[in-house]
Amino acid sequence: MKKVYCNVTKCLGCRSCEIACAVEHSKGKTLFTAISETPLPVHRRKVQAVEEIIISDACHHCEDAPCITACMSGSMFKAEDGSTQHNEDKCVGCWMCVMVCPFGAISRRKNLAIKCDLCKDRTEGPVCVVSCPTKSLTVK
Amino acid sequence: MEYVIVGSSAAGVSAVEAIRSVDKSGKITVISDENYSIYSRCVLSYYLAGMMTEEKLKYRGEDFFKKHNVDSIVGKKVEAVLPGKKIKLSDGKTLSFDKLLIATGSRSKMENIPGVEKDGVFGLRNINDARKIEERLGKTKTAVMLGGGLIGLRAAYALHKRGLKVIVVVKSKHILSQMLDEEGAGFIQRRIENKGIKVITGLSAKEITGDKEVSGIILENEEKIDCQIVVIGKGVQANIELVKDAGIKTEWGIIVNESLQTNVTDVFAAGDVAQTKDLVTGESTINALWPNAVIQGKIAGLNMAGKNIKYDGSLGMNSVEFFELPTISYGITKPKGEGYEILVKKNDAQEIYKKIVLKNNKIVGFVLVNDVDNAGVYGSLIRKKIDVSSIKEELLNNNFNFAKILPLVKKYKEEFAEKEYKELVM
Ligand SMILES: Cc1cc2nc3c(=O)[nH]c(=O)nc-3n(C[C@H](O)[C@H](O)[C@H](O)COP(=O)(O)OP(=O)(O)OC[C@H]3O[C@@H](n4cnc5c(N)ncnc54)[C@H](O)[C@@H]3O)c2cc1C
Ligand code: SF4
Ligand code: SF4
Repeated sequence: MKKVYCNVTKCLGCRSCEIACAVEHSKGKTLFTAISETPLPVHRRKVQAVEEIIISDACHHCEDAPCITACMSGSMFKAEDGSTQHNEDKCVGCWMCVMVCPFGAISRRKNLAIKCDLCKDRTEGPVCVVSCPTKSLTVK
Repeated sequence: MEYVIVGSSAAGVSAVEAIRSVDKSGKITVISDENYSIYSRCVLSYYLAGMMTEEKLKYRGEDFFKKHNVDSIVGKKVEAVLPGKKIKLSDGKTLSFDKLLIATGSRSKMENIPGVEKDGVFGLRNINDARKIEERLGKTKTAVMLGGGLIGLRAAYALHKRGLKVIVVVKSKHILSQMLDEEGAGFIQRRIENKGIKVITGLSAKEITGDKEVSGIILENEEKIDCQIVVIGKGVQANIELVKDAGIKTEWGIIVNESLQTNVTDVFAAGDVAQTKDLVTGESTINALWPNAVIQGKIAGLNMAGKNIKYDGSLGMNSVEFFELPTISYGITKPKGEGYEILVKKNDAQEIYKKIVLKNNKIVGFVLVNDVDNAGVYGSLIRKKIDVSSIKEELLNNNFNFAKILPLVKKYKEEFAEKEYKELVM
């Protein structure tokens, strides 16, 4: 399965990926329209830092995914390609998934868990990868 | 190979998936005394609140049994496990097995108070309970919850959403006394009281009044409350009766070893009915929770199918959100005894409370109110028993996140053994 990897030695923490991610997951799919949508689109990638290390991190699509085990509504699931996907329609916002995700990769919006879906609806692949000016993110 | 699984919920379903991941052809029979397809009882309160349809209770597709080539028997109870690898069903028939999984879960503990048998007194455990409560809403103005645990409060929240006046009666000093300390619970209690749910603490009901139907309760201090629904949320009790005469060891639940096998060979138990080791305290106990049931079902299933996988223990943890105030607790939240170190951060104005409990520089538990996003990161440090002395000062910082534990991931390679950690480019 293809996933997005961040090269920690290259990432400068510019947050371009966060913006591109939020825009891609907005209704209008442009920055201009995204900022005035309600609810505001949420980015699934998070730029995080410790001392000199900066990482742009998101769902790792764990092989043995704790969020799926814990999800009591059956909305987290493994897709055919092995990625961890989320059926937002069934989610009740219980945050059992947040409780167990070892990467803190799940965001919350009123009654809805939100996480990286690898831009499954974008034929060219994850938008964060192309948005990164330092080429820290790769999909492979 | 003939597998028989009793109970078709979190543990049973997960066992089916596990068995089929290694054994495509063995015969699997799943028996449930409920007359409804696979559904999640955890979301019943959301259904009761009117937030979801009955259809969405189903957490696996209608075709689950067909897809996994399972013989499903519904609406029949397994009455006993018999000698000679057989079980007896409520219709008198017997069924043989090579490997048996008992995944019978638990039921609501109904209190022994006068009046508990009246119409309008419910537990909230299965879909029928939810439907019956729902049917009664039309003639109900006030509902009383006896018990301030997770299920009592979820039911209270649901019925409040449906426009009823709701009163929660708790014997303990504070609500959610199982999962939270007093301080953390206080935030939730204030929030739900502000929104109109009344909480009475330190008292229990001594009688449920009414003729055939409930008309009220009388508290220990003689105070009377009129109500038309009483929901009892006093915890659960494991469904172990079927093994009573089978020579299988029980205490609160069915006692299992690291392989989730009982003291009788080829008989396994998983989920709310199984008594296992607590991963944090090391004590033999039942942490009757969905994720524990799913993982146990999976490991039991794999072992039944010939694998040899060890279970590292169950976790006491939970997550709730009422009126947009999320709270997560995990592990030991109210330490008793020596040697614990407690870190606390509190902001009353923002309703944020974070407490981390450490022992020998390892996190053994936490409570997070209104700032829960990194719960799983702390959780991984608990599970893996990582020494966090190097990042102790950062643990409660507002900007704590996964990156902060990267130095530890680098240092403790053996503990962070999962593929996902190995893939990090650092
Ligand atoms: C309202 C509610 C909210 C909850 N919320 C949460 C939550 O937020 N987080 C969490 O982690 N957990 C929660 N739980 C607990 C969670 O639902 C249980 O831990 C989980 O369902 C346990 O699964 P199980 O498969 O072990 O047993 P169960 O789900 O209890 O299923 C056992 C099945 O076996 C059947 N059965 C029993 N005896 C027999 C027999 N002799 N013959 C045939 N069939 C039999 C039962 O009818 C039942 O269908 C909640 C529970 C309820 C009721
Ligand atoms: S959300 Fe978290 S637990 Fe689930 S697959 Fe992604 S990284 Fe793993
Ligand atoms: S918040 Fe949604 S996705 Fe997460 S565990 Fe609950 S129902 Fe599943």
